Amino acid sequence: MNRLQEKYPTEIENTLAKYPPDQKRAAVMPLLYLAQREYGYISKQALQEISEILDVPVTEIGQLVGFYTLYHDQPGGKYRIQVCTDLPCALRGAEEFLEQLCENLGIRVGETTPDGLITIEAVMCLAGCDRAPLFQVQTAEGLTYHENQSVESAMKLIRTWQSIP
Amino acid sequence: MTNKMITLTIDGIQVTVPEGTNIVDAAKKAGIDIPVFCYHPKMKPVGMCRMCLVEVGRPVVDRNTGEFVRNEDGSLKIQFNPKLETGCTTLVSEGMVVINTSDKVKRGRKDILEFLLTSHPLDCPICDKGGECPLQNLTMAHGPGTSRFLFDEKKHLLKHYPLGELIYLDQERCIQCGRCIRFQEELVDDPVIGFSQRGRSLQIVTFSEPGFDSIFSGNTTDICPVGALTTADFRFGARPWELNAAASICQQCAVGCNLTLNVRREAAAGGKVVIKRVMPRQNEWVNEIWICDKGRFGYHYTEAPERLTQPLIRKEGELVPVSWEEALGFVAERFRQAGKGLLTLASGRLSNEDLFNLRKLSEGLGGKIALYTQMSGGEQVMQVGLAKESNLAELGQGDAILVIASDLHQEAPIWWLRVKQAAERGATLIVAHPRPTRLEKFAKHVLRYRYGDEAGLLLAMLNSLSAKRPALPERVSTLWRDDQVQAAAKAFAEAQNAVIFFGNEGVGLQASQALAQACLNLLLATNHAGRPNNGLIPVWQRPNDQGAWELGWRPLPNLDEAISQANAIYVVACDPAGDNPTLPLTPDFLVVQDLFLTATAKLAHVVLPALPFTEREGSLVNGERRVQRYYPAVPPRPSARADFTITGQLGKLLGIDLEDRLASKVMLRIAAEVPAFSGITYTALAYAPEQWPIIGREDLYYGGTTYENKQGIGVQLPNALQQGEQVTLTWPSLAQATEINGGLLAVPVTKLYDSGSTLVHSKLLDQRRVAAVLWIHPDEAAAHAVQEGDLVHLQFGEASAMATAILDKTVPQGVILLPRSAGIPLLEPCAAQLKVVERSYER
Repeated sequence: MNRLQEKYPTEIENTLAKYPPDQKRAAVMPLLYLAQREYGYISKQALQEISEILDVPVTEIGQLVGFYTLYHDQPGGKYRIQVCTDLPCALRGAEEFLEQLCENLGIRVGETTPDGLITIEAVMCLAGCDRAPLFQVQTAEGLTYHENQSVESAMKLIRTWQSIP
Repeated sequence: MTNKMITLTIDGIQVTVPEGTNIVDAAKKAGIDIPVFCYHPKMKPVGMCRMCLVEVGRPVVDRNTGEFVRNEDGSLKIQFNPKLETGCTTLVSEGMVVINTSDKVKRGRKDILEFLLTSHPLDCPICDKGGECPLQNLTMAHGPGTSRFLFDEKKHLLKHYPLGELIYLDQERCIQCGRCIRFQEELVDDPVIGFSQRGRSLQIVTFSEPGFDSIFSGNTTDICPVGALTTADFRFGARPWELNAAASICQQCAVGCNLTLNVRREAAAGGKVVIKRVMPRQNEWVNEIWICDKGRFGYHYTEAPERLTQPLIRKEGELVPVSWEEALGFVAERFRQAGKGLLTLASGRLSNEDLFNLRKLSEGLGGKIALYTQMSGGEQVMQVGLAKESNLAELGQGDAILVIASDLHQEAPIWWLRVKQAAERGATLIVAHPRPTRLEKFAKHVLRYRYGDEAGLLLAMLNSLSAKRPALPERVSTLWRDDQVQAAAKAFAEAQNAVIFFGNEGVGLQASQALAQACLNLLLATNHAGRPNNGLIPVWQRPNDQGAWELGWRPLPNLDEAISQANAIYVVACDPAGDNPTLPLTPDFLVVQDLFLTATAKLAHVVLPALPFTEREGSLVNGERRVQRYYPAVPPRPSARADFTITGQLGKLLGIDLEDRLASKVMLRIAAEVPAFSGITYTALAYAPEQWPIIGREDLYYGGTTYENKQGIGVQLPNALQQGEQVTLTWPSLAQATEINGGLLAVPVTKLYDSGSTLVHSKLLDQRRVAAVLWIHPDEAAAHAVQEGDLVHLQFGEASAMATAILDKTVPQGVILLPRSAGIPLLEPCAAQLKVVERSYER
């Protein structure tokens, strides 16, 4: 049973229509995003389903998931907070920021809150060194950037998510 | 390929090589080693590891005249690239100067090794590769003695990561050369492993189900330049320097891959010499430097504890151990009494020497012999078989290969690889099969026919080529007008060289004779016989079926009848009762000579324990009619004897002159009597010329741990045409279509991993072994009210079996496919009635 194919036939068809019929493999990245939206992460099942849709060996698709950091091969929170801790950000206090944010949420880097809402990750450059501490939030809907952050402002943002039923 | 030759200088040595050669290969040909990790002579270069960096200078060309600029002394003016260049990705050019020994080059290598070792665990003392490791060797030769990197900052990763149950990955040891990934993708078209992550985190991963799902996976452990990939069979089994090596030949199919058996005497085996691993041995005419996983892991039956250890005689209903003297004396006496009533039934699992002695014994007594096989056509192969001096590696542009009624990927994996490679070199591949197979992807022409029409299809191809069209049965009478058939026939006829592989999927014993004759006709009519790189290759199921035919063995059209008429039956290396439980095998006297107490042996009056190929000498004839010899690897188990010895000793007791001690002396007798074998001796079979690429202990870094061939590449037999005999076209009579009577046509198919007696003891392969299943088209399943997973009762004639249904769209309508040697007693295609016995409700 191919859940993606059954649930999103038009979406998949529209994606495939953007590429030549003999180059179906080109649609792999949009389909991976679709799968991530559906499953929350790229599960083995999702790899298998995309492999079937595109007729590309499953290992080739798995390789891509490893290569790109915005695809996740493990389940995580609904919101993934990705804090840059590279050198320029660290000089502007990103490391302390991350540490305190973790303390506030009661989890360590890479972990997910028990309610399954938030995962915190340390990532490489987000291209906003002068506006650190900064983080991006990855959700099924996409990415949002939050610059010049303090723990207070971040927690305020988080509380707005917590209030969403 | 052009024939243009290029002359260059490497370290002051002039080398002339064909255009298109890279610097590493050119140097190798001149005896100069340029170290490599990622480059492999059987694969395209990628320049990833940077180990092969050399200084490269090229002659300066005057742009006005287009001529080389010369120095005052008349020598060519050479311009050196300021940077080092990778020897593997740089092709040679005229007048090129390569420096492999300068300080600059040495420093480059030293730095690359220092980088490679930053993440390498240096656990050589516990590493399986230690002692035969390119990284270890090249570090000793070129590397720095110490590292400037911090030991504590080495990456720590998984040490025992199973890619599948057969191959383990040590993530720390991997140097990311990508040889394994490229092998799987480029060579064997199984892209089931790949790189994940980036930079220092780069790792080999697999997402296939089962893990590392490839029948060639073991080869990646040979070409891995470090101890990252190891087989579950050998890992932590022994150190390479403790192992002795014996040359052998794989006995799992008709390809005849050259092997090296690595053995060691060890305490764990109670002080016995045991086989630790099976490695490929280079033979560029047969298996190049590869073997399939069946060959690599299938040897365990030779060491199985279930093997017969002493002669048995039935006394008061029970088989009881007796001395050889008693057993042989008893058998000889009963054979003498049986005389003309003796039937000797043997299979192509035996060596030439065994089969020769068996035939001579039977002839001496006036008895009959019969080859136990489900496939015929050996005579046609003797007439127009692949000609002497052939090499499949030479087929390419302008040539054609036709594969009919065989799924080479499952039946003879190395032939699949060689045919695929020929197609990639430009040969026209024609695949004729009733269902899709793995070879079709590389074919220019795919011909789909109904089971039973294989010979008719070939004759139709012939009809489409000639104005004179002998009538064909109605089923296939109009096939010759088919566009695809015509196009394929035309391509085949116009090819410079052409080879036909024929198998027996869906073909019974009688029909395979017709198929072979149709192949012969096509080859002969299109002038593709009797010269090198042309001819017929049978995809036999056993390693020496062809040898049996050459030595006068033939299958009997009506085996049941012959069995019921015989007074005494001598069954050697086959298990007719196991294959067909309804066979009336009740003669007055039954002798079984085998490795195991088979179903037939359980019925026997006398059971004689034979030796497996690992404990004796012998020779085989592969499907390409190459005679190859194998050597003893481990000492014979006491109380078991080689087949030719047992037969020879029986001969002595019966006053028939047979050689019973030396296989080589039996071969001398064969050579004296069988014209095709004329001149063949064990010395001739041991001839080992130089081969390219250079493989072996000194060149581990280059070709991998495949063994060099010092023990012989074998000798190809000349076919009848090459021996000056006349071969004429005869029109085969085509069999009638099998009567189905409302059921379905049950077709036995060969799967690589079955439960045959020479594979079932390799427990490692259990997860990949084919079960007792039946494959059926979903529409056909619906028509017969069969669902996926149903346990189905099958009735064919008197025999019956149970199988689990698998719905598969690639199965033709009107047919069910059943695996051979998986517990279903079906030897030939026949009508089957289906009845669902039990339904599995998964949900």
